[in-house]
Amino acid sequence: MRSSTALGWAAAFLAPALISSLDALSNRPSYQLAGFLYLLAVSLAAYLGGFAAGLVATVLATLGLDYFFTPPRYDFIPANGDQAAGVGLFFVVAILISQLFERRRQVQQQAEAATARANRLQAVTARLAEAVTPQEVLDAIVTQGVEAAEARAGAIGLLMTDGETIEIVAQRGYEQNIFVGWESFPLSSDTPMGKAIREEKPFFFSTSAERNAAFKTMATIEGPSHALAILPLVVEARAIGAIAFTFPTEIEFDAERRALKATLAQQAAQAIDRVRLYEAERALRQRMTFLADASELLGSSLDYETTLAQLARLAVPEMATWCSVDILAPDGSIQRLAVAHEDPDRVAWAERLGEEYPPDPDQPMGVPNVIRTMTAEFIPEIADELLVEAAQGDQRLLEIVRELGLRSAITVPLVARGRALGALSLIRDDTAPRYTELDLDLASELARRAASAVDNAGLYREAERRGDASRALAHVDDGVVLLAEDGAIVSINPAAARILAVNEAAVVGETALGSIGGWSEIEDNARPEPGGTRGPVTLPLVLSDGNERWVSVSGVDFGDGAVYALRDVTEERLLERTRSDFVATASHELRTPLAAVLGAVKTLRREDVSFDPDQREMLMDMIDREAERLSGIVGQILLTGQLDAGRLRLEHERFDPVALTKSVVDSAELHLPSGIELRVRAAEDVPAVAGDENQLRQVISNLVDNAIKYSPQGGDVELRLHRNGQFARIEVADSGLGIPRDEHHRIFEKFYRLDPALTRGVNGTGLGLYISKELVERMNGRISVDSEPGRGSTFVVEVPLAI
Amino acid sequence: MLVADDEPPIRLLCEVNLAVAGIEVLQAADGEEALALARSEEPDLVLLDLMMPNVDGWTVAEELAAEEGTRDIPIVFLTARATTNDRRRAEKLGALGYVLKPFDPVRLAPLVAGVVARCSQGEADELRRERPSELWPADLEG
Repeated sequence: MRSSTALGWAAAFLAPALISSLDALSNRPSYQLAGFLYLLAVSLAAYLGGFAAGLVATVLATLGLDYFFTPPRYDFIPANGDQAAGVGLFFVVAILISQLFERRRQVQQQAEAATARANRLQAVTARLAEAVTPQEVLDAIVTQGVEAAEARAGAIGLLMTDGETIEIVAQRGYEQNIFVGWESFPLSSDTPMGKAIREEKPFFFSTSAERNAAFKTMATIEGPSHALAILPLVVEARAIGAIAFTFPTEIEFDAERRALKATLAQQAAQAIDRVRLYEAERALRQRMTFLADASELLGSSLDYETTLAQLARLAVPEMATWCSVDILAPDGSIQRLAVAHEDPDRVAWAERLGEEYPPDPDQPMGVPNVIRTMTAEFIPEIADELLVEAAQGDQRLLEIVRELGLRSAITVPLVARGRALGALSLIRDDTAPRYTELDLDLASELARRAASAVDNAGLYREAERRGDASRALAHVDDGVVLLAEDGAIVSINPAAARILAVNEAAVVGETALGSIGGWSEIEDNARPEPGGTRGPVTLPLVLSDGNERWVSVSGVDFGDGAVYALRDVTEERLLERTRSDFVATASHELRTPLAAVLGAVKTLRREDVSFDPDQREMLMDMIDREAERLSGIVGQILLTGQLDAGRLRLEHERFDPVALTKSVVDSAELHLPSGIELRVRAAEDVPAVAGDENQLRQVISNLVDNAIKYSPQGGDVELRLHRNGQFARIEVADSGLGIPRDEHHRIFEKFYRLDPALTRGVNGTGLGLYISKELVERMNGRISVDSEPGRGSTFVVEVPLAI
Repeated sequence: MLVADDEPPIRLLCEVNLAVAGIEVLQAADGEEALALARSEEPDLVLLDLMMPNVDGWTVAEELAAEEGTRDIPIVFLTARATTNDRRRAEKLGALGYVLKPFDPVRLAPLVAGVVARCSQGEADELRRERPSELWPADLEG
């Protein structure tokens, strides 16, 4: 514009001058031609320089036409009235031409300005369209907007989600520090932005004085007076913020300027709204994706420790700058399971820091508090005071956390089935946006899923462990009964069911007291205190099947139930009793012959009496027999000891069982009680056997002694021999007291003696049959009994034939 | 005096040594026999073994104590059963002595004669309280 004006002025002076110079060069151009040329010059000047240049050119051209070309020439006074009228006409026409061009020029200039504005707005729009992140949009608005508005500086303040705070989110062109202390301020404040947003109305101040009059607080701003425009950013009839333009000088805001600013504000508002929507949608999608990924991750493994560590990494960096997972250990301490950050070095550093500053479970805030109260902590804006409080006077720690530039934090509890398992912490530093309620919701949802996964993994592990345990329990011989707190049977293993004589399937779920006979005894003697253990105690239980059984029981209470371990000690108990019975029996068995021997000796040695030879003989005989008996008992006890220790070595010799049997009978005949008849019936073809002849003699002699002993009313004792396959079979049959069928298997046990009522006072060590069985079996033979009470007994010994 | 024991040597020893002291001895080989003889002969004292066929010594003592005619016959146990429990049980049954096998048969006559003498003077209860050590040997160990 400026260059064309200069050209206009040049044309205004030079063009008439050039035409005037034609007079000198040419030989008299006509008056009409000169007038035409002068009009062209005026047109040119007006076209290029506007009305003023046109006017100058018009004056110069009029004077030139009059002086050089209107007769009389070289004189300004026209020769006649016609000529004067001609010059006047020329002047009028030239002025009209100038005006005509001036108007045209103005129209063109306006069009150009409009185009330029449109271009600037277009540039703003283009930049806004390119901008993706909210910050880019805001930057584009202030940068391009300031330029488009021909302002010096600009700023955007947005209404925060709380609806009460305005925050300066972008600014450009201002002196440094102008916004210090004004990064955010209340909507209700007496500020141009506050008012513009409140009233959804723009404010234009042409001068600083005008501004200060409206807003007293602004009076402190120094510098030369300048104009200021504040416009609300309105979207869908709602002010979301305001934009301010500060101009370098005082400006009158005409309608056009105001309209331009309004357009800019509108564009900015729409762009901000659009990017916000986009951002919200993107965040939503990101959250959904994150949640989906997290869920997949959580479901992928039962190793929840690894999974949670992966989850923490998944949250970084989109969801958080830092993400950590803490777990409540069984002992009540809080253990950091994972820390995640984009930079592995930072992770290592954080882990070291975590070890240096272990969390105190009683801490009033942070992870311990979240776990304790099972309530999320949401700190949208981490204020410095908070850091100071958290550092608890530790200057070094305070410096460290200050340096981290932590901005916003969310800590949510991991809660499953009403129990806090730990906490998930998300922290953003000042490179990332603040957390919003949406993020809190997301974190809560994530924590819910993570807790559920941890819980499931725990349950699964427990189930698996229980599975293992119950498989193991199914095979142990010890009984295990698991009771719930209310005494109901949670589980009972097969051994316990067997010991307690109950049906495993039938009693589970029932109370132990109600379904297990004898449990009250256990309850009284082995029930542990809460959290304690008791036992083992050995108790006689009368079971549901009516039998009595000795059971060793111990109980362990583990808070929400108790486990009882049971062992059937009936056998041991019986053996114990049998053994102590044996001590009594053996002592009795020894004392009786000893009494006879000792008594006989003392009697014989009496000096006050002289016995006749018969009496002396009787006493001597007694000593002989009873000493023999004594030695037999001692021999049995010793033999038992040898058998038990495995020290007894048997001969392996060939001998005739018939001859052996006959010799046993012969020696038994020597002191046979009256009423007893001894007989041997041997088959013709009994072959030789292989074994230890002396020991077999002991066996048969023992069986014969028993047969005699247990025939107190007298009767026949018959020894029968015959071949049975590869064995020689020796039967010792009596018609004495007999043995009940259910005692048959027990009479061969060590120390076992029949009930005294059945033996009618017959003495014995309880070792004879045990020894017999052991000896026969060691000769690869077998021994058995066939007997009924009142009908006598038949003992059968089978010894392998010699090859 | 009645000696009830299933072991013939013991009965024989008692008989020989008591006869020397001029004591007449009846013999029973089991509990049944002992009860019958005690009822029919009413001896001055019963030397009673505990472990006998058919009816044991405990039962014999209980039955004798339960019957009018035999209640006052003094009983001295002569046994190989050495436990404290046995001794206590004998005490409860009102026994006046507990002689443990093996025993010195030579001392048997003065011992039982003493018991019979005290009892005939109506001092059975005092004797039970006194429990002289030769009648209740102290070296009994269960």
